[in-house]
Amino acid sequence: MAKFRETAMRYVFLLSAVLCIACVAVICMYLLGSGIPTMFEIGLDNFFGTTWQPGNGNYGIFPFIVGSIYVTAGAILIGVPIGALCAVYLAWFCPKRLYKVLNPAVRLMAGIPSIIYGFFGLTVLVPMIQSMTGTSGKGLLTASLLLGIMILPTIIGTAEPALRAVPRPYYDGALALGATHERSVFSVVVPAAGSGLMSGVILGIGRAIGETMAVIMIAGNQTRMPGGLLDGLRTMTSNIVLEMGYSTGLHRQALVATGVVLFVFILLINLLFSLAKKKEGTE
Amino acid sequence: MNVWKKMAAFAMAGLMSVSLFAGCGKTENNKITVVSREEGSGTRGAFIELMGVETDAGDQTTKDAEIANSTSLVQNTVSGNKNAIGYLSLGAYDSKLVKAVSVDGVAPTVENIKKGSYAVSRPFLICYKEENLTELGKDFVSFILSQDGQKIVEEKGYISSVDNAEAYTASGLTGKLSLDGSTSVGPLMEVLAEKYREVNPDVVIDIQQTGSGSGITAAIEGSCEIGMSSRNLKDEEIAKGLTHTAIALDGIAVVVHKDNGVDNLTQEQIQKIYTGEVTAWNELG
Repeated sequence: MAKFRETAMRYVFLLSAVLCIACVAVICMYLLGSGIPTMFEIGLDNFFGTTWQPGNGNYGIFPFIVGSIYVTAGAILIGVPIGALCAVYLAWFCPKRLYKVLNPAVRLMAGIPSIIYGFFGLTVLVPMIQSMTGTSGKGLLTASLLLGIMILPTIIGTAEPALRAVPRPYYDGALALGATHERSVFSVVVPAAGSGLMSGVILGIGRAIGETMAVIMIAGNQTRMPGGLLDGLRTMTSNIVLEMGYSTGLHRQALVATGVVLFVFILLINLLFSLAKKKEGTE
Repeated sequence: MNVWKKMAAFAMAGLMSVSLFAGCGKTENNKITVVSREEGSGTRGAFIELMGVETDAGDQTTKDAEIANSTSLVQNTVSGNKNAIGYLSLGAYDSKLVKAVSVDGVAPTVENIKKGSYAVSRPFLICYKEENLTELGKDFVSFILSQDGQKIVEEKGYISSVDNAEAYTASGLTGKLSLDGSTSVGPLMEVLAEKYREVNPDVVIDIQQTGSGSGITAAIEGSCEIGMSSRNLKDEEIAKGLTHTAIALDGIAVVVHKDNGVDNLTQEQIQKIYTGEVTAWNELG
């Protein structure tokens, strides 16, 4: 009986594992199977062109690819220094009493739905940028700022445990050599936690590039090439959500194909992630 | 002690950066922020057609237009931006948030739309061939145009198209009815059909939402009994023997920020704003 239960449970676990992989496989198959033929039907020239006018047969998503990259880069530029330093502070400098407040606060940030972030952006950031620059307030800068805030919990959540996981003797050794607390942390502990920090950054990139609801509300969603920091832009995710509801036929197919491109980007990011880990492991 | 000092310093730095932000001078700017709906939206389709933004070469909406994917987002965006202009269904217009301008001197009111003098309005039509219409079809049409049907129309935020409608009495008919057409009319029709079935429970009503054009074609070809359209029928469509009736009117309000001094725009001005020909409020003259 016990043996039977043992085997039965083993298959339950196997089934769970298979289900996970099957989900990914089905998504892959669906996306690639319906997306890639569409790209060729539209024509690669057209599809990676710069004009998006589905009503007129122009399906160029290049501006959205650029938009996604810009926004993500902006978010990383803002989010990574703040997030990484915050993690260092939480792990090595924070008084216990303060930690009891800060730690739950960071966790709470992760739990806030993105639509709420979007509303915050729309009602606080957009008017602020508007009054500072005299533009409409929606655009790359606003989106980067908001996404930079949104990826903080992801980065902190990965980086802080990595910093804590650095063996204590590293730090003690540095102290014993005469380094101050700050110096020991920044020159010994932080480099030792490098791969953990990198993972945080890469996860942050994934979060930023995939974010949709908040970005739709504050990026402006123009279909043209983004030209500057204050210009409005549209990301790939926004493009899909904005037009999915109404689209039919080739237009809808083009949105699926946009999803394929996004998917490829995510794959690349994951590949980078595992490469970074591997390299770290061999060193 | 040292820690608290540090914290105080951080807090001071934070405060200073905030006041820096606030102190930044406001740049006077009157570049128009054009707000549009997403490609494929029924409201956008009707708006660009009525305002001449759509030409034979297709949709000419300026690429600089901000795109909002819902009526409420249009309203919120315009209410938060002094230089913005947008458009939305009159049923959703909230005068506390934004200001609807007159078009060619005509205010967007229910009366003006009923009279037909407000330019940016569209009818919701049903169309059918008389000879294809069954007893059940006739009864459903009379329900839509009755007092009860038009009350639903107004409850859904549209404008009733029938004056002095009569009350509807249940006919107790049975059978199947098929409708096809506009995705804008579709949701309203779903509600009408639901209410109709409350009084005539043995009726099955099948509503397909494929777009005005294909609904009209289906009604001509007889593959559905009643077609739904959110645009006026073309002459060649009427020539193929279609009868059409307006079941509701929908106005599109052109809205600007409440502090915007502009109260009236001509169709031509709106067209120029939305095609990107005019980009600043003072260029309007």
